[in-house]
Formats: sequence, C-alpha cells, structure tokens
Amino acid sequence: MSILKIENLSKTYPNGVKALDNVSIEITNGMFGLLGPNGAGKSSLMRTLATLQEADSGSAFLDDINIFQEPEELRKVLGYLPQEFGVYPRITAEQLLDHMCVLKGITKKSERKEMVTYLLDKVNLYDKRNKSVKGFSGGMKQRVGIAQALIGNPKLIIVDEPTAGLDPGERNRFYNLLADVGQEVIVILSTHIVDDVRELCTNMAIMNLGNLVFQGAPQTAIDELKGKVYQKIISRGELEEYGKNFPIISNKMVGGQPLIHVFSESNPGSGFEQVAPNLEDVFFSKINTQNVIV
Amino acid sequence: MFKIFFSSELKYTLKQPMVYIFMFLMALMTFGATASDSVQIGGSVGNILKNSPFVITTFVTILLLFGLLIAAAFFNNAALRDYNNNFNEILFSTPLSKSGYFFGRFFGALILSTIPILGVFIGVILGSWVAPLAGWEDAERFGPFYLETFVNNYFLFILPNMFIAGTIIYSMAIAFRSTVISFVGAMGLIVVYLVSGSFMSDIDNETIGALLDTFGIRTYSLETKYYTPIEKNTLSPSFMGLLLWNRLLWIVIGSGILAASYMRFSFLEKNKKVKESKDKKEERVEVSTMPKFAPSFASNTNWAQFKSFFYTNFTSIRKSVTFKILFVFSAILLVTRLWNGFSYFGLQSYPLTYEIIGAIDGSTTLFIIIILVFFSGELIWRDREQKINEVIDASPHSSIISLSAKALSLVTIASLLNWFFIFCGIIYQLANGYTRIELDVYLIDFFMTKFPIYFVWSGVMIMIQVLINNKYVGYFASIFVIFFWSIVLLMSDISSNMLEIGAGPSVRYSDISGFGPGVEGAIWFNTYWGLFGLICLAIAGGLWNRGSSSSLKERIAIMNKQVPKAFKMGISALVVVWLGVAGFVYYNTQVLNEYMSSDEREQLSVDYEKKFKKYEGVDLPKITDIKYYIDIFPKQRDVHVKALMTLTNETDNPIDSIHYNYTKTWNPEFNIPNSELVFDDEYFEYRIYKLRKALQPGESIDIEIQTKYITEGFQNGTGNTSVVENGTFFNNMSILPTLGYNAGVELSDKTTRKKYDLAPKKRMPELEVNCSKNCMSNYLSNGHSDYINAETVISTSSDQLAVAPGSLLKEWKEGDRNYYHYKVDHISQDFYSFISARFEVATREWNGVDIEVYYDKKHEVNIDMMLDAVERSLTYYSENFGPYYHKQCRVIEFPRYSTFAQAFPGTMPYSESFGFVTNLEDESDNNVIDAVIAHEMAHQWWAHQVVGADMQGGTMMSESFSEYSSLMTMKNMTDDPMKMRDFIKYDHDRYLRGRGQERIKEQPLYKVENQQYIHYGKGSVILYALQDYIGEDSVNKAMRTFLDEFKYRKPPYPTSLDFMRHLDPVVPDSMKYLVDEWFKEITLYDNRLKEAKYTELPNGKYEVTLQLETTKIKADSLGKETKVAMNDWVDIGLFADADEKDLMYQKRVKFNQPQMEFKIIVDSIPAKAGIDPRHILIDRVYKDNIKTVKQAE
Repeated sequence: MSILKIENLSKTYPNGVKALDNVSIEITNGMFGLLGPNGAGKSSLMRTLATLQEADSGSAFLDDINIFQEPEELRKVLGYLPQEFGVYPRITAEQLLDHMCVLKGITKKSERKEMVTYLLDKVNLYDKRNKSVKGFSGGMKQRVGIAQALIGNPKLIIVDEPTAGLDPGERNRFYNLLADVGQEVIVILSTHIVDDVRELCTNMAIMNLGNLVFQGAPQTAIDELKGKVYQKIISRGELEEYGKNFPIISNKMVGGQPLIHVFSESNPGSGFEQVAPNLEDVFFSKINTQNVIV
Repeated sequence: MFKIFFSSELKYTLKQPMVYIFMFLMALMTFGATASDSVQIGGSVGNILKNSPFVITTFVTILLLFGLLIAAAFFNNAALRDYNNNFNEILFSTPLSKSGYFFGRFFGALILSTIPILGVFIGVILGSWVAPLAGWEDAERFGPFYLETFVNNYFLFILPNMFIAGTIIYSMAIAFRSTVISFVGAMGLIVVYLVSGSFMSDIDNETIGALLDTFGIRTYSLETKYYTPIEKNTLSPSFMGLLLWNRLLWIVIGSGILAASYMRFSFLEKNKKVKESKDKKEERVEVSTMPKFAPSFASNTNWAQFKSFFYTNFTSIRKSVTFKILFVFSAILLVTRLWNGFSYFGLQSYPLTYEIIGAIDGSTTLFIIIILVFFSGELIWRDREQKINEVIDASPHSSIISLSAKALSLVTIASLLNWFFIFCGIIYQLANGYTRIELDVYLIDFFMTKFPIYFVWSGVMIMIQVLINNKYVGYFASIFVIFFWSIVLLMSDISSNMLEIGAGPSVRYSDISGFGPGVEGAIWFNTYWGLFGLICLAIAGGLWNRGSSSSLKERIAIMNKQVPKAFKMGISALVVVWLGVAGFVYYNTQVLNEYMSSDEREQLSVDYEKKFKKYEGVDLPKITDIKYYIDIFPKQRDVHVKALMTLTNETDNPIDSIHYNYTKTWNPEFNIPNSELVFDDEYFEYRIYKLRKALQPGESIDIEIQTKYITEGFQNGTGNTSVVENGTFFNNMSILPTLGYNAGVELSDKTTRKKYDLAPKKRMPELEVNCSKNCMSNYLSNGHSDYINAETVISTSSDQLAVAPGSLLKEWKEGDRNYYHYKVDHISQDFYSFISARFEVATREWNGVDIEVYYDKKHEVNIDMMLDAVERSLTYYSENFGPYYHKQCRVIEFPRYSTFAQAFPGTMPYSESFGFVTNLEDESDNNVIDAVIAHEMAHQWWAHQVVGADMQGGTMMSESFSEYSSLMTMKNMTDDPMKMRDFIKYDHDRYLRGRGQERIKEQPLYKVENQQYIHYGKGSVILYALQDYIGEDSVNKAMRTFLDEFKYRKPPYPTSLDFMRHLDPVVPDSMKYLVDEWFKEITLYDNRLKEAKYTELPNGKYEVTLQLETTKIKADSLGKETKVAMNDWVDIGLFADADEKDLMYQKRVKFNQPQMEFKIIVDSIPAKAGIDPRHILIDRVYKDNIKTVKQAE
C-alpha cells in the first residue's frame, strides 16, 4: 500500500498565474481522478509530481520518497504520460518502447522483449511494431504513450488526459489496462471527461484556479447533491433570464433546446423537475460557484 | 493571391536563421579574401585593386557555385514545406489559385535565395574599409566602388543564376516531393558547367562553351580575358555581348522548365500506389497479465541506458536527410579531389597515405564540422521538438548519461564518416595499383588529429546548447566559437594553443621522420582538450534543463540541490586533473619553451633596427677557414656544435670589435682570444667583443664557438622540424652565430614600417656600374666569408648516417656512435648543410665524380632516374660551362616539413614530398623531376662557382642561369621542339602570374630584386628564347666566358652588367634590340592568329593564308603598359595534327605592321596554324596564337 502525501503545495508562474495554491492531498492505491476545467492547475500538479517542475513551497512524499529532494528515487517508481506525447521520427514503436524499458531499469534483453510484446499487444499495436512511429495517427501515438507509462512496475502512474484522441473502443481497452494495474498502485488520472472518473475512480478531486475544491469518493459527492438538482428545458431566449434568477449548474443542448440544471435546496418551481444528480452536476456545481452560464 | 504567398514566403523565411547564416558565411569569405592575401577566391589579385569590379564579379560568380546550396535550401523549403508539415490537405482544400500559390512560393524563394549572396558585397565593402584601417593591407590596394558593379552583378549573375537553379530545384522538388532528388537536379547544373569548361579549353569552341556555361562564370572570364589591370579596376560586367546572350539563353531555358512544371502541378493528391502489406500475422504467445520484472538500477543499468540513448541518437542522425546530403556533398568533393590526383607540374605523385589523408582533410573537414554543429543542436533539442521530453525526463536516468550518449553519437558519426573516407582513399590507392597502404598511419593520424577534435567540439557544442537554451542562438554561438574565436585570438595577439579549442602542435606524417617533433606536444594538448571536453559535458549534465524550461539561475540552484555528491566530487576531480595537465602544458609551452607572439616579434624587429642599424656596415673580419665538429643526438633531438674558425681582416682598416647575432636557443659560447665581452643584449641576441689588440689589415685570429641545441619538453607549435629523430637537416647559418648586424630581421612591408615610423626599406642596393663596397659581399654568405676551405667531423647515433660537405676522409665508430670526417675538395662559399638519417645510398661514378643519392628506403623507385639526371647535367654543364670542381655530387632526401630542393656546394638536399614520391612510371623522357635536379646541379656552376654581388640583378646569374641550364639539358634530350613548349609554359605562367601579384614594382631582368617570378620565370624564358634567336652556342659562350672571368674569384663579385658585357659580343647587331628589350626593359607580346585558311592549288599543293596580328607592349617601372611599334622577327608555323605535336612547317618572319598576312605553300593540309608556335616569346595570351586551319570558301 503506497501513500502519496502532498502538503501545502504552491506554485506561481513568473507571469503571475497561480497554478497551485496551497494544495494538500493524500492519495492511496487505486485510481484517482483529477477533474478540472482547462487551466485549473491539473497539469501543473501532475508535472510537479512527475519531478518535471519545481514547486515554490510545500512538500510531496510517496511513502518515504521526498519527491522534491530525491527526484531520482521517484522516477524509478513513476509511470508518466504527459498531455502532449510525441515520438521520435525514424524509430519504430518497438524500438521506442525498448528504449523506455532500458531507461526504466529493465536491463535484460529477454525481459524487455517480453514486456514490449505484452504492451504492444495490450495497446493493439503489435502488428505495427516495426513501423516508424512518425507515420502513426494521433490515437496510435497516444497508445504508445500509454504503453510506455506502464513499464517498470511503477508505484505511481500519472496520466494526463490520456484518452484524448482515442476512439471509444480504444478508450475502453485503455481503461481496462489501467484498471488492471491500478489495483496495486496509485494511478492519478486527469481528465475532463466526467464519466471516465465515475466509471473508474474510487477517489477523485476537483481543481479550479489552482485550488482543490473537492476531494473524496465520486459517490460521496453525488450523494451530497441528492435532491438538490433540478432541470428544465427552456427556450434559447430565456437562457439569460434564467441565469439571473437561478443558480444554474450547467446547460446543454437537448434536441436543439437548452436543458438547464440548477442547484437548489428546495424545488424552485416554475416547471423545474428534480433529477438524480450525476458527477457532471457535481463537477459544474463545484467549479461554477460564480453562477456563470457555462 | 500571388502577393500573399510571395510575401508570406518572405516573412516565414526571414524569421528563420538560415538566410542570415548563409549571408554571414558569404560575407565572411569575401571579407577574408579582401582583407588578407591568405584567403584566395578565384584568380589572381596582385596589381589589380582588391575591391575592383573585376574582383568583386569574380567573387560573385565563384561564390554563386556555393549559392546552389542556398538555392537548394530555399526552393526545397518553398516547394515542400506544406507537405512536410502535413498542411497540404488543409491548404489545398481552400479556394486558392494555383498560379498564385505556385509562382508566389517560387518567386518568394527566388528573392530570398539572392539575399545571402549580397553578403559577398557586404564582405568586400567591410574588408575594404577594415583592412587599411587595421593595417592588414595598403590603402593603395583599394579603389572606389561603383554602384554599377553591384547592380549589374545582381541582375547579371545573382538573380539569373538563382532563377535557373531555382526552376530545376523547385520543379524537381514538387514533382518528386523529395529534397534529395532536387539536390541531384542541382548537381546536374554543375555537370553542365563542367562540360562547358571542356569546351572552353579548346579555343575554337570557346564561344559555344561560354554560351553553355550555366552560371556565366566562364562567359565572364572569356569576356575579360584581354582586360588590362586598369580595365579590371574600373569596368563592371555589362549587359552586352556573349554574357547577355548566355544569360538570355539560360533564362529562357529556366522559364521553360518552370512553365512545364506549372502545367504538371496540381493540388490533387496523386493516387498513391498502396503497397501490399507484407506483414504476416505472426503467431505469438498471448501474455494476459503484465509481466513483472523488478527494475534494477545498478551500474550496468547506466551502461544499458547509455547504449540505448546512443542507439536512438545515432540512428536519428544517420537517417536524417540533412546528414545524407552533407555526406553526399563531402563524398563528391573527396572523389573529385582524388580524381584530380596529386599533381606537381604535370606529374602525379604516388597516392601516399599522407597525401590521401591530406585530401580527406581538405575536402571533408568543413562538412564534418558542419555536421557536428548542426547535430549538436538537433540532438539537444530533439526530445523537446518531438514532444517526448517529459516522458524521457521523468524516467530514472541521469542527465549525464543521456548527454554523454549524445556526445558519443556525434563523435561516432564524425569518426565513421572519416573512416568511410579513409576507406574510399584506400580503394583509390589500390585502384591506382599502389599497395603501400599504411593502416597504422591512418589510425594514428585519426587518433592524434581527428578524434580529439571531434570529441572536444562535441563536448563544447553540447555545453553551448545546454547553457544557452535556445537552438539557434546556440548554433550562432557554436559557429562563433569555431570560426571567430581564432580571429579574436589573432587580433588580441594570443597564439597559445591552450586557448584555441582543440588546437595543438600540428603533426604531419613524413615517410622519413614519422609524425615528427610535434607528437609529444600533440598528445599532451589532446589530453588537455579531451579533459576539457569532459568537463564541458559534465557541466552540461549538471545544468541540463530537465522538465519544464527554467532560467540558467534556477538550473544552477537545482543543480546544487539535486546533483549527487559523488558526481560533484567526480567533476572536481576532473577539474583538478585538467588543471594539472594545463599546468604541465603551460610550463612546457610558456616557460620551458618560450615563444613570441607576432606583435612581439614585430616590435622586436622594429627595436632591433632602431637600436642596431648603426652597426650595419661596420668593418668586420671575414671567416677564411672553418672546421665544424657536430654531434647529432637524434633520439634526444639535441645537437652539439663546435666550430674552429679563422677570422681575417680583409678590410683596409684595423678592426677592434667583433659583432655577433646569435640565437638563445642554441646557447652559444664564444672563445675569442684576447677579447672582452663589452656588450651583450639577450633580448636582441646581440653581442660585441672587443679585441684587446686591434686586428690589422691582413691579420688573422683563430676563434672557437660552441653551440648546443637541447630539446626540452614540448612546444606550443610543432617545434624544431630541422632537428628530428630521423632526417635532421640544418645548415651552417642556423647553428652558428652570424657576424654583424642582420638586416634580414628588419620589417619589409611598407605599411607596417610606416606604423613604426620607419622609412620604406629598399629591397636591394641599386645596380652600380663601377661598384666598390656593395660588390664585396654576395647574397649567399652576406659578406661573412668568401670562397674558403671547410672541414667537418660529424657524429650521429649508430643507426644513422651523417652527411657534411666534401669528400669522406674517414669513418669510424666510437661507443654507439658513428663518426664521419669530411673535407671539401675545393674552396667554396661557406654555405653548407648537415644531414643525419637512416639513409640508403645509391652511387654511380662519372668521370671521377661520385654521384650519390641518399634516400629513405621506402623511396627507391625514382633513384635511377635521379642518377641519370645528375649525370646528364654534369655532362652538359661541364661541356658547355666548364669543369665541376667537387669529387662528389650528392642528392640528399630530407623530410617533407619543407618542400624545396636547394643547392649547397656539392650537395643538393631534396624534399621527400616531390621527386622521391612522384610517379614517373609512364614518363619515358624528360620531366620536371629531371628539371629540378638539373636546376640544382646547375647551381654548382651558377651560385657556387660564380655568384652575383648582393644587389639588383644578383640572382639573375644564379637562378635565371640555372633554370636556363636546366631547360637546355631537357632540350638536349629530345629532338621534339614541341616537348619543350610543355616545359617552358610553366615558366611563362610563373612570370605572368607573378607580375600580376607584384606588390612593389616589377624590375627588368637585369635589375631583378630577388623576385622569383622574374629570375626563375622570365629569366629562363628570355634566355631560352635568346638561344633560339642567336644560337645555343653563343649564349653558352657568353655564360662560359663570364664564368671564366669570375670563377671562384675573390670579391668584388660580378654584377649583371658584367654578364651583359660578355653577352654583347655574341649577339649579332640585328638582334641587339632583343638584349635591350628583354633584359633591360619589360617587354611583352600580344600575338594573335586571326584567321587561317587554305586553298588547294592546281599543282596539288596547298596554299595557307594566315591573318596575323601582333603587338609589342612595354611596361614602365610603375607597371603602366604602352603599345610600341613592332619591327621584330617572330616565328610562324603549321601543325600537321590537331594535338600540336607535329610542327610540319616553321619560319621566322619579320613583323613590321600590326596586321599582316602571310601565304605559305605546303604539300599537305595542315591541321593548325600559329604564330610563335613553340611559345618562346612572352605572350599575354598564348591561347589565341594557334587556330585550326579551315578551307577557304
């Protein structure tokens, strides 16, 4: 059982943007979802944990590894897939993964071979193993990225928006793979696809503007909203007026007309009907505290 | 639409560094060529202003050849950028116009590709401005600029050439979507250019050739062939004549290509043939659960990571198109270089290993450096550019491992290239039937001179890229360090190799003395730089920007925090070792073996002159007898000398002090009886001994001087190449102090002298009719002595043989050393060389004279021919000039640190690098090796039996006479007059090229001021022509009687006027004008055959009509040329064959009109006709003297 303990992490960029604002969190084995809108600080947090960025203050420990003092130790037990993952041109998928195996300390050739074969098979690229990665589509590259993150028995796997660009089939395959390994290690998964978190994660956090605005189990969050979410289909022209009068959590188009969700302790009347809250409502209610129509 | 693409093309590319880098390089080259004489781009400069329109145009046309590379870069980019960035589909689905896109891109690239060439102008302008200011060149060597030069060059050459190259490159790039193929297209243009060259070489086809030249280079040189210096200095290329036609022709061809390409071009994707997938579905074991392997992080992990990094880096270079192109280019250069062979005056040297190494260095070094610079940036920035950096950075490896792997892959790629070139070289050697392939020399040279350079540069450039943290600024810094740092050092007057990255003593392989005296120093310097490279890598490893980019300051903070102690300790240890080595190198190169920087040396010359000039001309005794005791220690590279000499006062006044100039490094000890050292200046190395009792006229004293040359440690430079392990070679001037003030120390350059308030220095005393004092010394021994006896006891190590002048009286062994006692058989000038090496000796006897060739055992192939040449010379010279007075005649090989042959009395040291290694297998008769031997042999008469006084015209009697004598031995070997033309042409060329580069003023032959182009080139041609006009016997008679009068005679030494006195009686009155015009004036001819036609006569014979044009030109001392009336005898002739081998008809006719017609009746149709068919007159342009004879209409 590993514990990732983050305390009072802060980071301000030279341009003044506060990427992390006194973030403290404790994460244990299993899949951990990190939700947040663009620019919330997810990537900053993940890169800091992946030893790629210095924090201004605070500490982070994986068990007894002090991540900031001993980045080298953390890297030995880290699997990382960044948001943008490119590949070397003129190198095949197999060669690339083999290279990563070496970097992650698998020195025996036979072991590497087995590992690479397994991974290529799992990400469905075995047939393409001798092709130059440069010719791969975005999704295929992403799959190579996923494969490399799993190499070397990592205790901590950080994946930053891993399913972007994957088709639904690939996405499922990826989550199955992640779930396989996620039993015994810490997997931090950042995404803005709320359903992914609900399906996969036992724990989650929501970030906004560098702050942690929620952490806990997804179901807990949903339970908190139980009986407090109401929905109504309105016409487009009414949207602005509703926005003024009701705490709108979200609006999305259904059959060409806006379907709004509002947060309310009691039934707001005027045609609203109560719905069972989902994680998306949690997400929007947590980040949309200014009641702006999103 | 056109405008959009046009301007976006400009904007896009102007933001890239490429334009500026190319422009900078162009400017750099022409700056160098303008501001100094050491950089030469095309053609001669000399009399012509350094920034004349002609020179600028030459720069432009020549550099436009390199401009092909630029065109290739820009046009490829314009054609392929969208495809390469996968943007084509987006772009082509928008409603854009085909012509706008196609031509917008093309013309954008066209304009862009001309911009870097403007660097040529910038370089010239800057050079012309800086050079006079900095004192590198005389201000007089620069003239005004003409706007027309720049404008016309742009529209005549730059724009059209880029257009023509562009149409081909752009069209091919678009058609094949391949950079490499379009490069090949550009190569095609070069082929056409080369073909045009072969047309040009035949004067009959030169118009076709000039039209065919893709780049107009040869067209321009044809147009300017008859330009006088004044024309070259003022006229810009113009839109006229052949040049205009050539340009129009090629623009039309280019437009055709472009139009065809436009018609073919389409936005639609071509249907690609889908290759059938060959991948078979393989059977494989399904692994359902993730294999669990415990990662291990031991030292073998580092090694595995290093290997894996190395492999990926290396592959990425090897597979990159840039690498392939650079590789192909350097390979092409090397192949061309090898194809041309190693020629020396029309002969080929054997492809010796060191020659191959030289060829490889010459043609590929620049490319290897470019590869190192380019890929250092590529490798450092690759991860970031491919966006894989975060994954790699977050993996558990240490930065130093990945950086070392990058460095090693750079070093490896450079090394592999070098080895590939060596492989090509070996193939070349074998293909030429040469089997003495010295793999060890290749290997050692690689490890001594290549590998360390690759290594330190890789380390330095990786550090630069890491520190600067911006790829292009990094490139700029790298280029600065490579090319400019040495200029900065030069300007700061620092010549220590310890500050010039990768520098060290040069090692040059010689078959005789191996890698020579620089080896020890080179090894230490290599160690020093190797460690420096490691430190750079370590610094880079510590400061490597891992993760998101941060400033250098942050990175230093991170380094302090994160870099493990052991690593820091390692670096510290490295630095300590490096400092130790640096200290040792410093001690050796700055303390143990001091040297002067060039500024210091210059200052020394100035101060020496100011301080001691007053002693010039003080009465000094002369050496009248000398005995040398020389011990050479080849292993230690030491020499001990003892000289016992008699000094005699031959002046009319008593002498009470003796002045000496000495060399500190030879540690002299003087033993002058009854004298006192009254002045000693160690800095200027000047001493004065005062004699207690003045030496009266005619009185002598015996003195002893000892010197010791001791080699200690190693030097900043190569070190003394005349004292080496095998092949020690020095002369008596360098081992002993010299008497009196040494005017040779004085600065000679006018501008430099001006800088130090020194009046311009006369090159030589003026020729005097009745000279007294100035004729008392000759230019060989500078008045220290005249013809004297000399005796030498010389010893060397037991494996070597030592040679000194004269007959070997005795030879013995003492301990493990060989001793030899030599004595000259006849008094000679005190001008001797001493040599020691492991020699083989070939001997032959000729009329009581021992002909001996001392050579290295690897060089036995031409020895017989050399013996023949010596014998032939002895025969001709003793028959025609008089007896040979020595009992032996030695040709002695010395290492190739110098390339010359020189004549000392009875001995002729001859460099190994020509003659001994020249391939004479196919040479049935006379050749330049014979010529060189014959020349040096002739010096035994002309220089050693009679030598000119040290004044104007002095060298005519040694160099011109020797070169003439040599030509005469050639002439006597062959009956074929046309063979001689092949020889004389080198002398003609030497003279005409030389006079174009004269910096002070050209003298007539009889006043030659040791100007080589005059005394060798013009002197031999004139004397040869003279014997053709007045007869061989007459000329030889004049020389002989002159020799008889002055042979071994005490001073006064003869002047050129003395020879003219002997020449006069042998010249018939009708030919007297030749003596004046050729010897006392500067006279050139411009003969031309305008037309040659034949008609068949009724009697079956043929009448050939020649239209001839002749001009005689006289140049005054300032170089101004005037045409004078012609009233001269000149040959006309007919050739039976087109190769001009068979001169079927020849007649000397009088020319008294500028245009004349001659009719000749012959039995058969001649192939060619000509004026001066044997090329004996000095003709500004000889090519137009001969033409094919055509049938009259």
